[in-house]
Amino acid sequence: MKPFDYQRATDTDTAVATVSRNPNARYLGGGTNLVDHMKLGVSSPELLVDVSRLSSDTVETLPDGGVRVGAAVRNSDLAAEPIIRQRYPVLAHALLAGASGQLRNLATTGGNLLQRTRCVYFQDVTTPCNKREPGTGCSALDGYTRYHAVLGSSEHCVATHPSDMAVALTALDAVVHTQGPSGPRSIPVADLHRLPGDEPDRDTVLEHGELITAVDLPALPMAARSNYRKVRDRASYAFALVSVAAAVDIAGDTIRDVRIAFGGLAHKPWRATLAENALRGAPATEATFRTAADAELAEARPLSDNEFKIPMARNTLTSVLRDLTQQEGS
Amino acid sequence: MNDHAPARSPQDLDDAIAGGIGESPIRPDGALKVRGEYAYSSDLWAEDMLWGVTLRSPHPSARIRSIDVSGALKTPGVYAVLTHEDVPGDNLYGLKDVDQPVLASDVVRYKGEAVALVAADHPETARRARERIDVDYEVLEPVTDAERAAHDETLPKVHPDGNLVRYQPILKGDPEATAEVVVSGTYTLGMQDQAFLGPESGLAIPAEDGGVDLYLATQDLHSDQAQTARALGLPQEKVRMTLSGVGGAFGGREDLSIQVHVCMLALRTGKPVKMVYDREESFYGHVHRHPATMYYEHGADADGRLVYVRAKLYFDGGAYSSKTPVVVGNGTTLGVGPYVVPNVRIEGWGVYTNNPPCGAMRGLGAVQPALAYEAQLDKLAEALDMDPVDVRIRNAISRGESIATGQVLDYPAPVAELLERVRALPMPPERDGTELDIRELPGGASNTTHGEGVYRGVGYGVCIKNICYAEGADDYSTARVRLQALGGEPAAMVHTAAAEVGQGVVTVQQQITRSELGVERVTVHPNDTDVGKAGSSSASRQTYMTGGAVKTACEAVRRRLLDRVAERFGEAFGDLSLAGGKIVSASTGVLTEIVDVLGDEVIEETREYHHRETYPMDAEDGSSERVQVQHAFSAHRAVVDVDVELGLVKVVALDCSQDVGKAVNPDAVVGQIQGGSAQGLGLAVMEEIRVGDGAIRNPSFTDYLIPTILDTPPMKIDVIERGDPNSPYGVRGVGEPPTISSTPAVVAAVRAATGKDLTHVPVSPEHVVDFGE
Ligand SMILES: Cc1cc2nc3c(=O)[nH]c(=O)nc-3n(C[C@H](O)[C@H](O)[C@H](O)COP(=O)(O)OP(=O)(O)OC[C@H]3O[C@@H](n4cnc5c(N)ncnc54)[C@H](O)[C@@H]3O)c2cc1C
Ligand code: SF4
Repeated sequence: MKPFDYQRATDTDTAVATVSRNPNARYLGGGTNLVDHMKLGVSSPELLVDVSRLSSDTVETLPDGGVRVGAAVRNSDLAAEPIIRQRYPVLAHALLAGASGQLRNLATTGGNLLQRTRCVYFQDVTTPCNKREPGTGCSALDGYTRYHAVLGSSEHCVATHPSDMAVALTALDAVVHTQGPSGPRSIPVADLHRLPGDEPDRDTVLEHGELITAVDLPALPMAARSNYRKVRDRASYAFALVSVAAAVDIAGDTIRDVRIAFGGLAHKPWRATLAENALRGAPATEATFRTAADAELAEARPLSDNEFKIPMARNTLTSVLRDLTQQEGS
Repeated sequence: MNDHAPARSPQDLDDAIAGGIGESPIRPDGALKVRGEYAYSSDLWAEDMLWGVTLRSPHPSARIRSIDVSGALKTPGVYAVLTHEDVPGDNLYGLKDVDQPVLASDVVRYKGEAVALVAADHPETARRARERIDVDYEVLEPVTDAERAAHDETLPKVHPDGNLVRYQPILKGDPEATAEVVVSGTYTLGMQDQAFLGPESGLAIPAEDGGVDLYLATQDLHSDQAQTARALGLPQEKVRMTLSGVGGAFGGREDLSIQVHVCMLALRTGKPVKMVYDREESFYGHVHRHPATMYYEHGADADGRLVYVRAKLYFDGGAYSSKTPVVVGNGTTLGVGPYVVPNVRIEGWGVYTNNPPCGAMRGLGAVQPALAYEAQLDKLAEALDMDPVDVRIRNAISRGESIATGQVLDYPAPVAELLERVRALPMPPERDGTELDIRELPGGASNTTHGEGVYRGVGYGVCIKNICYAEGADDYSTARVRLQALGGEPAAMVHTAAAEVGQGVVTVQQQITRSELGVERVTVHPNDTDVGKAGSSSASRQTYMTGGAVKTACEAVRRRLLDRVAERFGEAFGDLSLAGGKIVSASTGVLTEIVDVLGDEVIEETREYHHRETYPMDAEDGSSERVQVQHAFSAHRAVVDVDVELGLVKVVALDCSQDVGKAVNPDAVVGQIQGGSAQGLGLAVMEEIRVGDGAIRNPSFTDYLIPTILDTPPMKIDVIERGDPNSPYGVRGVGEPPTISSTPAVVAAVRAATGKDLTHVPVSPEHVVDFGE
């Protein structure tokens, strides 16, 4: 690990100013991802500005019925929050499906959103990787791709985004609030992460120094009927091969409205708008679910080791929808 | 001797003594480990010590053109930077073949091979200096396909003599035998890691006599000592080793890792030097289980009786030989499993490639074929429409019958009984669809199914494993036992070099001494090289071998004590025994206290225990009158639930019947069987080091998955004791068999639930579900 300076941020403006003016400065949340990267040599910041104790560590209800989650709220606390468990079960499930209890006690909402891919080549500094070192090439393309993307990838990068929480937030139409060198702005979580294109080194649309201050969940009553399923290689403490976050609003046997996002399939949490469109107004049947899944996955392109992800995603979505539409009321 | 009475020491054992043989006394390290207070070798510390780090090859195959250490040497805080030129003695070591350089000189043969060493006053300084060592490599095309390496002469040679480490055939009966029912299959097994938690670590302290004292975690102090002394160019007595807290081993600590390196740095700098690998380096710093490709054909008659087995086994040994010769020996000798087969043609190849070196791991060489022969027995049962357990019982080997090498088993081999017993164990309750806890279902905490699409399957596995060293190796252990009066109490001290790697050998030595000497207070001296060899804590051998040595030394101590009593009291020696600190005569009752006979005297005896001789295998047909000294057997029944939509497996039950000869410590026996079963479960459904182009793709416990408590079911363990008349107390090695029979049982259960062939372990979701529709 390279030597670095550490500062604990006392207020947002100073933190933003400090990091913005130093290209080698980074924010530090719980450190569960960034510190690993520093040890592996993937990242070598010269200054860490600790934002894990900035004031925004609370979950509050907004006047419009939405909920605001401070960026410093720990994953464990968010998952345990009664409002979240009752009104947004998909988010509580997704959080609890991630990492381990110890890690969730440290991990922050802001840090979780910005955690980086688990692509093994990205983490192995002896191999070429366009995300780590632009222009060096993508080792995964001819390599081990079981955990890699089937949707939205490019010839420059086929990595997936690893966060479970972000998949739920994407399905819920959540919005990220930031404070950056050019002032505050709000970005839907669905637009926060990028597809790799020819700039895979940029995970998100954030500028350097842009600080996540909070995440807003819209009121969205249908979110009470929501769920998260995660398929992985062991029963806990492993990243997703495929995951699905979904919420439904059902009247009789008809799907009135629906929100769906996939994890494990793409460089970003994948909002499944094609599947949603196929489902809105349709009867809640196994056949409709499959058609919807197929609509979304039609463009999927497997790599050598991950062809299974496409039918796995279809089966997972189908079972989540089956489960949600068969639930008694909400 | 009947089958059911374990062989006993000539003296009637005083089983009533607290903490003696057959009891499960509290282990001295237990509470400390649970509380996190146990000192592991990575906790070692000396005033003013330096930290050592290793520079490793980034290429699986390359020629070294030059190494420039000048930049590293200039780094402030650096005390030494060493390369192959600095190796004082032979720059080669190895467990069997001496083929591995201490530091690479002209070529590197695997990614992760040690090239240079740095010692500095801070680990970070050492790491930064390491980055400033300039190695000029000419990168070569690596050899990565083991089967090709065995046959394709056009491939580059990993070692000058070629790529074959050992070829061993076993030919028995008619090589062209034919049969009514024939089943065949090809099976593959991924590379498994020992996944011990304590990384390689040690502290070397230079001594005034020009030698060095090394404190370390290992499985075999004397093997390390001999290899290290040779590389250091020192006589063995100047390279002293003491065992420090070992955080697991499972075979991964048989080969050298830090030993020579840290001693070189200490001798060069004249200061204590500590080395500790981090997790990633540990994955590159120790050997793994050999991946294998196995081609099998079984022929049977219409009653399901085996007529022949023909097999070809390929083991990828990676860049250095390590235990590859033994893996080929065990894999072929045990390649038909615990069955009687009249006609056998098995060929085994162990080869060099530029993959990470493979060597010892629990179940050495027997894990791989068990996956194949057990799958074959299930296929046979299906072809004959027979019950899979019945097919196994019909062919089960038993005492008096011979294995493929011709060796007759002259000790109990209760294979059929184990199968009957494991089949009779109560089944776990059926799922009734009302499970409220999703953690009980496939996917566990991932919330993947609430019971829909879940199918149950049951599978069996049984295995045979040789215990102790084989093929003519002189296998022995040494014990020094001292008896004296301390504070008015008789007290014994046992000194051996047997490495406590977590299996409980310290407690076993105490128990044996208590029972043999009738003395409760028994201390085990720290393990070091001041006493004779114990051999490795491997091959399930320490209770047998070091147990045997402790028993023999205790008998010698007892003889001296009782001789004196017989003389003083005019009793017949044969009438005397020791119990509860007293000396008892069969004719006149309690005679005196041990302490009174001892007075101020110390009785100390050192003894070696050798097991019966074994013999090499014939190079042409593998035959051997006694290739292995003992065999152990276990049988598993696995019950699994499989989510057939997502391919996720939940092992609901993994129950085991095992013959342990004599359970010296019943709790430790159960612990070994549970742990072994969990390790076999891991291989069945998740554990695999992913190797691509010679590189390990998942060198971390985030990416190399081992079972958690959610993946591991409660286990019913059924232990039987059919004593081996040739071993001390009738003991039979315990640690390895459960690792072997559990894997095929789990895979068989998944096959039963899904109807899939499943020829590779670990089984992944994409193998279980036909996602292709
Ligand atoms: C063994 C292991 C298993 C895991 N398993 C899972 C899993 O199954 N599912 C899953 O979803 N995750 C998993 N994780 C990842 C874990 O969820 C993340 O490491 C964690 O959420 C990151 O949060 P943090 O606060 O520690 O981030 P940090 O490591 O502190 O930061 C991560 C990144 O975010 C930036 N950052 C932090 N806070 C802010 C902010 N407020 N504004 C702007 N930038 C910020 C940092 O500069 C850094 O670039 C696992 C991690 C480990 C180590
Ligand atoms: S997939 Fe992306 S992250 Fe992985 S090696 Fe390629 S460029 Fe790097």
